[in-house]
Amino acid sequence: MSRPLLLRGARLLDPASGLDETGDIRIEDGRIAELGDMLPADGAAALECEGLCLAPALIDLAAHVGPSGAPGGESVASLARAASAGGIGTVALTGEDASPIDTPERAADLIAQGREAPVKMLVAGAMTRGGDLAEMGLMQRAGAAFLHGAAPGFALRRRALAYAGGLDMLCAVRPEEPGYEDALFWEGELAARLGAASVPEAAERVAAERDLALAELTGARLMLDRIATQEALEPLARARAKGLEVFASVGIAHLSFNEVDAGGLDPAFRLSPPLAGEASRRALVQAVADGLIDAVVSDHAPRAPQDKDAPFGDAAPGSASIETLLPALLALAADGQLTLLQALAPVTSGPAAILGLSQGRLAEGAPADIVLFDAEAPFVCRPDALHGRARNTAYAGRRLHGAVQMTLVGGGVAYEG
Amino acid sequence: MARASRSRRLTSIGDFGRLELEAAFERADQISSDAWPDQSEALQGHTLLTLFAEPAGPSQTAYALAGRRLGADVADFPAGESGGFADALVAAEAMGPDILVVRHSAPGAADFAAERSGALVIGAGDGAREDPVQALTDAFVLRRRFGALDGLRVAICGDVLHSRAARSAVGLLNVLNVEVRLAGPPTLLPADADRWGVDVFHDLDEALEACDAVIVLPAPRERISGAFVPSPREYAALYGLTAERLSRANPGAVVLHAGPVGRGVEIAADVADMAEASLIGDQAAAGVAMRMAVLSLMTEWGGNRMGAA
Repeated sequence: MSRPLLLRGARLLDPASGLDETGDIRIEDGRIAELGDMLPADGAAALECEGLCLAPALIDLAAHVGPSGAPGGESVASLARAASAGGIGTVALTGEDASPIDTPERAADLIAQGREAPVKMLVAGAMTRGGDLAEMGLMQRAGAAFLHGAAPGFALRRRALAYAGGLDMLCAVRPEEPGYEDALFWEGELAARLGAASVPEAAERVAAERDLALAELTGARLMLDRIATQEALEPLARARAKGLEVFASVGIAHLSFNEVDAGGLDPAFRLSPPLAGEASRRALVQAVADGLIDAVVSDHAPRAPQDKDAPFGDAAPGSASIETLLPALLALAADGQLTLLQALAPVTSGPAAILGLSQGRLAEGAPADIVLFDAEAPFVCRPDALHGRARNTAYAGRRLHGAVQMTLVGGGVAYEG
Repeated sequence: MARASRSRRLTSIGDFGRLELEAAFERADQISSDAWPDQSEALQGHTLLTLFAEPAGPSQTAYALAGRRLGADVADFPAGESGGFADALVAAEAMGPDILVVRHSAPGAADFAAERSGALVIGAGDGAREDPVQALTDAFVLRRRFGALDGLRVAICGDVLHSRAARSAVGLLNVLNVEVRLAGPPTLLPADADRWGVDVFHDLDEALEACDAVIVLPAPRERISGAFVPSPREYAALYGLTAERLSRANPGAVVLHAGPVGRGVEIAADVADMAEASLIGDQAAAGVAMRMAVLSLMTEWGGNRMGAA
């Protein structure tokens, strides 16, 4: 048993309970033993945290490791390193087309690697493999925490969601329509001027409507995954009002940037889904503030340098954003677009509620997954200073906020700045 | 025996009321124990045509055997997939059968035949709609093991969506006051099965809890290789009936499977071969007896060809 730890005089931020006040927290046996004011040391190692914020360590529901072994890809270990440096205590690994997690063997392998990591690693299995159902049940048995996917077509999606519903697993589904795989922008004046392939925002509305209808039909637990435009919000709100248990996530880049950032055709801003207009960005931020969107994810997508070193349209989509998840949220808070608790909720209590995790809150008995950070400190994203392997970040050179001092996972130090 | 009004066809289990059901069980019982003296003459002078527009299986053989044992002239009318079903019926009808046994891939095909034929018509499977005699056979096998079926709990496991036998079984077991549970992945259960007066489970272990009998449905490889179920190994892991799973059922619980048996997939080999619990062998024998019972009773009730003297 390690020695109890007392963190003193921090600004305690707990979105789950709405707590935002100065206090102490006592950690014993990997759990939060006591929350309060002026707690006695009682033999615990005391750490003065004056001027620092203390919040539940972040939970990121979507990060990719990229092609295994490929240069520029992350290993589970390097991803965990980057996550812990970013104040993240729980990371969900999700597959991509080029590096799917669609067999129980692959899921089990990643889960085994994750056990060695300093942060908690969850694995999301794919719902489909080729045009068929993937072995969701066996992946669940192997330890997959939830499912994700974008099966094309209504019929296959319906079967996939129905099957997953029988397993009572959460399904993170990207609301997209087939036929726009080559789209670089959302349709609009900018895309028209650039002559770039684009997808109408209405496609996201139609896809969201379909997926919400399928959730109702099949009883599956649905999360609209990484919605990118305001068009998906209205159907989502309507489904919620109907009492449907559905969730939604958004990628952090879609809260930080808009299509104008990509308008210079810098390949770093080539993302999938593409960045939308400012009206959508504002609507997504507002939806986070309102709690309509439950989770903000890093959508960390490591890419090899040569895959990004190409004209915009040829560059591999994705940004290595895991380490800047917290600073980007804190920048939105510093900017007055979100309160601090609103900024933290979709990376703590929100995802914890979606998956039924015991971490993600400051409460007696909860796992001591904690991040200590200076919310006011300036943070300039320098790719070379990132802790992971990937360097392809859309945040390069951006002035963000916050410096992580320490990340604790299960009471153990996962990162110390 | 009272003459039933609808007894000129058995295309749906609902065509038999309580009286007909009891008579069928009783007659099948007598046949099985060689206690029915009229056995070899009951259908003397009658013509039985089997008209199977789907690849013939053991069912067609069982009907032919049943007809012959009752003394009927039995012939197979070759109704392959070429040509229309209506034309095949006209041709078959011209041969003046007294009994027509029909199997076809379209729901309603057996009734379609019954409306165009003067013969007694028995549906041996119309698509995934009904196969009433299979259900009667299963219930008969259970009766011989348990006596009365009243109050038993039966789980029907697997591909209910494509199973005509399961649809007939649910209808029959409901009438017989059996508590029915359906278990399978949501992709293999009809979306509205919970309105059938059954309890629906997606977890086989839960479904088997305190059951008296388990009817395991075949899981054809083409349905469990990606389309409805990801793979045979996942199906076996989640929905395969193993001895361990069966131990959740009541002591003395029995297992039925109408075949073809997918050993190691929907049912473990040792379960299929269990001496006491497995009634798979009994089903085949009972299948002929039940067909004989139905053929003879319907002939008694329905008399000769419609329009004939």
